[in-house]
Amino acid sequence: MSGIVVEGLRHLYRPKRGSPVLALEDVNLRVGDQEFIALLGPSGCGKSTLLYLMGGFLPVESGRITVDGAPVSGPGPDRGIVFQHFALFPWKTVLQNVLYGLERQPMAQAEREERARAFIKMVGLSGFENNYPSQLSGGMKQRAAIARTLAIDPKVLLMDEPFGALDAQTRHLMQTELLAIWRRTPKTVIFVTHDVQEAVYLAQRIVVMSARPGRIKEIVEVGLDKADPELTRSRAFADMSDHVWSLVRDEAIKAQAGVGL
Amino acid sequence: MAGISAPTPSFAARAGQFALRWSLVIALFVAWELLTRTRTFTPFMLPSPQSVSERIMRDASSGDLFINMALTIYRALAGFIIAAMLGISLGLVMTRNAGLRWFFDPVISVGFPMPKITFLPVIVLWLGFYDTAKISMVVFDAIFPILTATIAGVRSVEKELIWSARNLGARERDVMWQILLPAASPQILTGLQVALPIALIVAVVAEMMMGGYGMGGAMIEASRKADSRGVFAGIIEISIIGWIFVKAMAMTRARLLFWHAER
Repeated sequence: MSGIVVEGLRHLYRPKRGSPVLALEDVNLRVGDQEFIALLGPSGCGKSTLLYLMGGFLPVESGRITVDGAPVSGPGPDRGIVFQHFALFPWKTVLQNVLYGLERQPMAQAEREERARAFIKMVGLSGFENNYPSQLSGGMKQRAAIARTLAIDPKVLLMDEPFGALDAQTRHLMQTELLAIWRRTPKTVIFVTHDVQEAVYLAQRIVVMSARPGRIKEIVEVGLDKADPELTRSRAFADMSDHVWSLVRDEAIKAQAGVGL
Repeated sequence: MAGISAPTPSFAARAGQFALRWSLVIALFVAWELLTRTRTFTPFMLPSPQSVSERIMRDASSGDLFINMALTIYRALAGFIIAAMLGISLGLVMTRNAGLRWFFDPVISVGFPMPKITFLPVIVLWLGFYDTAKISMVVFDAIFPILTATIAGVRSVEKELIWSARNLGARERDVMWQILLPAASPQILTGLQVALPIALIVAVVAEMMMGGYGMGGAMIEASRKADSRGVFAGIIEISIIGWIFVKAMAMTRARLLFWHAER
């Protein structure tokens, strides 16, 4: 079975103080090869937890997750991750950051460097190879982080609200570029977001999740032409956003009520 | 990096700034001079700055000063470096291994606040009076701030940073030395900055208690011979070493943490 298969997944979040919280319950999901999936839901619905479980950063305790038939047992370069707050190594330059993963792969040093520079160019950071993260803007930091992850050529790209910390203009620009990159180097993408428009714009399928405990409420086939430059202004886009928003709204209200308790 | 820089202040302005910054230290010396001139104290109780500086010059020309300074610096630095290597390694391993942390935590909790100098008589019994004993005493005292700073630093490293490294193929050993060590280095360096003056203090105190060559030993000997100039000369000399230590450590910090935004 190729792709990612999640079956009967259940996850308990155990805070250091207080009683355990059921973060995910009975999650079942099949993601095909090179598919672009958005995990959408209110904060606290367990969408990031699901992503971390797929990445192997958290242990699967109940249920199973397989990637190409093999159960996930830990982090691996086949599933690259991009975090909201970039997680660049601040003591390394952009080039050194991108090289970090490549240095663990069997190839000649010259090839590594060539590859790193190619990916830095691809995300539009040429000329900033020797800058430190503290010298970059938020958008540039995220470009560097994306280059670092893409350079190790993962089969699956896990993105945890990657544009959540960016300003609106930069975010839109990055969304467009992510789609362009995805078209050029097709990968399975799992994209966590709480932004309905972002999910509709990027994903082929949107997995709408319910508030605590996190379950899959509905899976929406987006079916829009992503290559259309006028897409975000189209009627179909507005209708789809409306439909997805109506699904999320109830959950967001429930999540709010939960916080209020 | 080239950029817009403030205009260079004139020589007079810089000299004025320097004088203001050091005014308290200068005032202290002026007060000292005045107290001796007015004969408020006898020259035995408080020798004049001039007689003390003459004494320092004499010690310097005889070579004693440099032998004593070199020995004290050697003992302080050797102890400090051993404490740094042990403290950082132990701190890194302890935070990554819950079992080790569980095992060592009581020793640290009891050992950190305890005055380590109380072990000096025991160290003398076990290791004698020479360098091994003095350096061991320095290690024993300097290791705690380094160890606790390393543990605090490593524990505050964001999990995303560790996850990123693991995701990019780093193994547990790589994570420790390539990620945790540099990521925790601001706090570790703070621990080292605390430990270095402690190393100097303990080296001097150990020398005072155990005798022999070294700044502490020389001061105790001067005191026993009622040589008050010698004692005051020692105070000045040790302060200068301490000042150089602190400055050198701050420069090392700035050099190592060029990537870290600090104000």
